[in-house]
Order: sequence, then structure tokens, then C-alpha cells
Amino acid sequence: MEKKLAVQDLFMRFGDKTVLDHLSFDVQKGEFLSLLGPSGCGKTTILRILVGLQAPTSGKIFKDDQEITGLAPDKRGMGIVFQNYALFQNMTVLGNVEYALKLRKDLKPRSREIALQLIEQVGLTEHKDKKPGRLSGGQQQRVAIARTLALNPDILLFDEPMSALDVANRLTLRDEIKRIQREYHSTILYITHDQEEAFALSDRIMVMGNGRIHQLDTPQNIIDHPADEYVEEFVIRNLNKKIESLMKYRKPE
Amino acid sequence: METKRSAGSLALKAVLALFFLFAVLLPLIRMLSNMATTDVGGILSSPQFHSAALHSLLSSGTATLISVFLAFLLAWCITRSRIRFKEAWCVLFTLPMLIPSISHGMGLVILFGSNGILTNWLHLPFTIYGFGGIVIGSVLYSFPVAFLMLLDVLKYEDGTAYEAAAVLGISKGRQIRSLLLPYLRKPLISVIFATFTLIVTDYGVPLMVGGKYTTLPVMMYNEVTGLLDFGEGSVIGACLLIPAVAAFLIDLFTKESNGQNFVTRPRSVAPGRGRDVFCTLLCIVAGVLILLPIAAFVLLTFVRKYPVDMSFTFQNILKTMDQGAGDYLINSLIIAFSVALIGTAVSYLTAYLTARSRGISSGLLHLISITSLAIPGMVLGLSYSLFFGGSFLAGTLSILILVNMVHFFASPYLMAYNSLGKLNENLEAVGRTLGIGRVRMVLRVFVPQTRSTLWEMFSYFFVNSMMTISAVSFLSRRETMPLSLIINQFEKQMQLESIAFVSLLILAVNLLMKGIIALIRRRAGKKEAA
Repeated sequence: MEKKLAVQDLFMRFGDKTVLDHLSFDVQKGEFLSLLGPSGCGKTTILRILVGLQAPTSGKIFKDDQEITGLAPDKRGMGIVFQNYALFQNMTVLGNVEYALKLRKDLKPRSREIALQLIEQVGLTEHKDKKPGRLSGGQQQRVAIARTLALNPDILLFDEPMSALDVANRLTLRDEIKRIQREYHSTILYITHDQEEAFALSDRIMVMGNGRIHQLDTPQNIIDHPADEYVEEFVIRNLNKKIESLMKYRKPE
Repeated sequence: METKRSAGSLALKAVLALFFLFAVLLPLIRMLSNMATTDVGGILSSPQFHSAALHSLLSSGTATLISVFLAFLLAWCITRSRIRFKEAWCVLFTLPMLIPSISHGMGLVILFGSNGILTNWLHLPFTIYGFGGIVIGSVLYSFPVAFLMLLDVLKYEDGTAYEAAAVLGISKGRQIRSLLLPYLRKPLISVIFATFTLIVTDYGVPLMVGGKYTTLPVMMYNEVTGLLDFGEGSVIGACLLIPAVAAFLIDLFTKESNGQNFVTRPRSVAPGRGRDVFCTLLCIVAGVLILLPIAAFVLLTFVRKYPVDMSFTFQNILKTMDQGAGDYLINSLIIAFSVALIGTAVSYLTAYLTARSRGISSGLLHLISITSLAIPGMVLGLSYSLFFGGSFLAGTLSILILVNMVHFFASPYLMAYNSLGKLNENLEAVGRTLGIGRVRMVLRVFVPQTRSTLWEMFSYFFVNSMMTISAVSFLSRRETMPLSLIINQFEKQMQLESIAFVSLLILAVNLLMKGIIALIRRRAGKKEAA
């Protein structure tokens, strides 16, 4: 396996509060890695630092063995999808996807073509001339994904992209994200506080709490060998509760 | 990269803070320092000052109570009944905002003066001059402002609490005591102080109908424009600053900071015929009272010589135009358009910097941006005339544009601040990861999404600059005088028909502007919905 991203000794402090406590981890090429933890554990801060929206107090980030710690967000080849979509409400679906392309000299001549293709990819061709306000939450999140894919990033970051969606939409969007990953061979970092979502999607899961990594492993290994009491409590007991509550309704065979 | 970006915006914030330093703080300090060379004790203990202060407190206090009471009553009619034409009533009730306070005073003189229309017609045994006139004029002048504030308060009251109360079987009386009154307390205090400040710092109404009943602003106006006594003017100015600063601080500390994330629902209004008839009647009475002075202006403008010759004529208009009303109108339009354009741009930019980034610098700039709320126009005008007196700005249209822009800055700034603050907090992050520059994001994403607010801001600056008489009164010269200020001159020559015409002209220009902007906003709204 090839190393895509390496984080070394990442440390972040706001005032006298330590948000990230000297984290180091690698992400493999083409991997789907979930960052799982309760809100306030530092997940989103990691994502913002990786994509360059925030500078860490100390620590280094490497992508394809090149250091990118001080690089501008648009020079990192990463795309980010936010929980609340952050679409340009004044532009159409097509406008949203096409806008960044039109600003790039090399891509401008093909901007329309690329945008239309991406919109088709996420299944919104018939809605391409609508403003985001007229779409459902799931459709809006698809627009956000297409917009992020436009500049062809090889790492995709998702910041709790499903939390504003209903259950049915979550399940279809899950499949879609997996399909996009296969088609674009992207590496994905996915933030969630939902244990079940992390286990359904990920190659590996990073269980976080209070700015620290408690365990970074495959779902199977986390279930079989939880690293500490925290993982046991936050991941396994919570998962078991969910399963139990569903099993109650299962008819005996 | 991070540091370069924030350095840029920090520099911009510093420039704006510097601007406010020179446009607000230093002139104000200059005025206050003027008191050092003045016999402050002598002025404050003089019988003239005492009676003016007492007059100001009494008339403004009375007018505030009446104005807020009426405003609440009518705002309640609009929000808590099912009467028809609610929008039309709101337009009508805010008409008095479009003309200068001095016109309200003259409207009363024309109606109830010694030779007033209603005095003659109804053979009224009294005239309007003095305490009563000031109170009525001030109510007319301040009512729309209080009405709009209370309308907002009542409109956005959460209905879910009342539904819960009804389900729990809590009586109507108890609902009022335990839900409505606690909810109203803070905003009502704000409205009362804002209305009081508006009235107590106005010189237009008492100058016209006060007679011998002199108030502090009138005293200040006479000292400065008549006797050129800047020392005494500064002392009174400092006194007028007190209620304004108090209102500002109260507003600052009573603002509810939470409540935005809650799910709220407007209160539902049950059918009620009796109530609706009552509300309609109230609206009609208020509407007639508001239209009365305007009708009087129309009558005086188009009648040859009231009450001697009642035949129709354009003669009064031609005569007024001959006396230079056209030039003053052009001055006013130049000022109003410039203030609207520059003011909207500067306040929007400031709001973008404070609403879209966190940190101490944003908080400080925000506070500086709204301090102009705490400075009455007359005080700002006197400060400017002392501070910029010897500079190249003195006597130019530019200083009138600047002073109006600063005077009216806070409200449009807050409009932009609120609507920019509501846009998705991750938009900047999206722009940065997609390589869309900051300026481009502002122009292509933020501006289009806040277009309606931008027009509202433009309209606010324009209308207020057209009708203001306060900040500009100590700064304009014959060549730069705005239209609103010549009313005072016509009054000295007892040209009531010219005053009527000029008041109508200001009303017409402002109505036209309001109408155009309403059309633009409606069209923009339709396009947005498509």
C-alpha cells in the first residue's frame, strides 16, 4: 500500500485549551478512513488543518511525501464537503459546479462539459438549472459533492455530510459516496459521530476522544480488540445498544 | 497563507477604525474640550437653561409615552388581528418618516395656528403654540419609528409558548402576565429610550410650534446659528449626549443574544369580528390624523391665497422655485445619492469584515460602527463644524455628505451585519479550497444573496439624508444648503405656502425613491424564487 497522507505530531491549542494533543497518523492511497468521536473531540479541527483552512500550532503534514503544511487550501489537491452544504444559493446547480472551473485558465474551455458530466454523475441532470433552495437536502449535498469533485482533488474530506439528512437519504448517499470513491480512486477522510455509519463505510476507523487518538484500526479489529475502556464504551456498547433495539422487532424464524 | 489573508483584513479593519476615529471620536472630543474654556457652571445654573431643560424633559417625556402607547396599539392591531390591507396601513403609518421634523411642526401651525385651517373652520378657542404643540408634533414625528420597532417585536414573538399554555389550560390573563409582559419588557425599554432620544434631541418641531416654550435643542440651535456662541452650544450638546448614550447602552445590554436557533412560529390569530372592526376603526383614525397635515400641505400649495382666494393655482410652486428651491433640491439630491452610494458601500464592507470573521478586532470594529447611534445629529453637526471648521472640507457638499453618512451609519450597518451573519458560515472555506478569491466571493456570492438588504440600506441612507435637518444645520452654507433647511427661512418670511410645497416635494422624492426600490426588490424577489 502506498502512503497518501502523513500527519506528524500535530498539535493545536486555542488559548490555553489543547484541542489536538500531538497526533500522528498515516492515510493510505485509496483508503476510506473515518474519524469517529463525540462532538468537540477535535475531528473538525483536524479536517480544517488538513485542507489548510487553519494553521496548526505545531506539526507537519505530508501528501505524497511532499510537505504541504503551509500550502494554500486550493493548492493542496483536496476537496471538502460540509455538513450544511455551503452552496452558492444565488447560482444554479450548474453554476455552483462550474464556477471554480471557469476561474481556472487551463480548465475554462472545458468547464461546461466537466460540470455537466459531474452533475450527471450525481444524478441531478434534470435539476441542473434550478437554484439550490428548490432541492431537497440530499440533492443539495450531491451538488456540494459535484462542486468539490470539479477540480479533481485526489483526497476528499467529508465533515459530517449526512447529519442534516433523513435516514432514507443517508443510505442512498452512502452508496453514492462509495461509488464515487471507486470511480475517482479518491482517498477519503470522513468525519462522523455515528458509530454505525463509520463501520458501514470505512476501511479503517480512527476513534477519537478529547483531542487524542484512542484507536486507529480496521472495524473488525476494533470490535475484536478494543484498545481501551473509552473505545469499549463509546463504540462497542453504543453499537450493541443499537443492534439490540433493532433485534427486538425481529420475528422468530 | 493564513497569516497573509488575516493581515489583509486586519489592515482593512484598521483603516475603517481610523476613519471612525476621525469622523466620530475626534470631532466629538473637540466639541467636549470646547467646554474647558466655557463657564459651564454659569450656563448650567442659569434660569434659561433650567427652564429649557425642564421643558425638554416634560414635553419629550409626555410625547414619548403617548407615541409609544399609540405605536403599540397600532402595531398590535396589525399583528394580532385579521384586518385587511395590513401592508397599506403600514405604508401609511410610516409616511411621517419621509418628511423633516420641521415640516411636522409647520403642519400643525398650518392646521391649528392662529390663522390655521382647522382653527378657522371649527372656530377653535385655542392655538397650538407651546407645550401641546410640541407634544403633538413630536408624537407625529416619532410615531413611525416606534411603530416599526414594536411591529418587529410583536411580529417575531414566538407563538409556540402560547400554544403550549393553551394546551395546559392556562388562562388568557395569566398568559399575558407570564408570557407577554416578560417578553415585552426589554424591547419596550429599548423602544421607549430610542423614542425619547429621538424627540428630546429634535429642534425642528419645538422651533416651529414651541413659541416661548424653549427646549434644549432650540436653545442650542439659537446659540450656535444666531449668536455664534459655540461654548454654550457645546455645553447643551453634551447634555443632549446623555440620553442618547444612555439609550445606546441600554440597547446594547438588553439585546437578546440567543433565541435564533430555536424553532419559533408566529402567533396564530383566531377570528374575531368585534376585534377586527375595532382595529380597523383605530387604523382609520390614525391614518386620518397622519394624512391631515399632508392634506393641508396640498391645500396650501395649490390654492392661490388661503383663506382669502381658494382658486386653484401653480403660482406658489413657481414662486418657490424662483426663490431657489430648484437649486436646493439639486443639493439635496446630490447629498442623498452620494450618502446612499458611499454609505451603503462602506457600511456593507464594514459589516462583511465584522460579521464574517471572529476575533477581538471584529468585535471592536462592530462596537465602533454602532456608536454613531449614541450621537444626536445636532451634536455631531456642531462637533464637525468645530473640528473641520478651518479645513478644506468646511462649507463644501462633501462635509454634508460625510456627516450624514456617519450620522445614519449604524442602522444600515446593522442590516448588513444581520443578513451577512445569516449566510452559511462555511462559504469562505469553500471559496478558499476552490481557489475563489475573497473579493470575487464577496461580489459573486455574498452581494447577490444580500441584494435585497443592500437596496434597503440604500433607501435608508437616501430617505434620511433627504429629510434630515439635524447634523447639517450647522454645516451648510447658502450654496450648499439642502432643501429641508430652507423651510426654516420660509418660516421667518411667513411663506407658509412655500413651506407646504417644499415639504410635499421632499415627501414626493422620498416616496418615489421608496416606490422604485420596492419595485426593484419585488422583481429581485421574483427572480430569486424562479
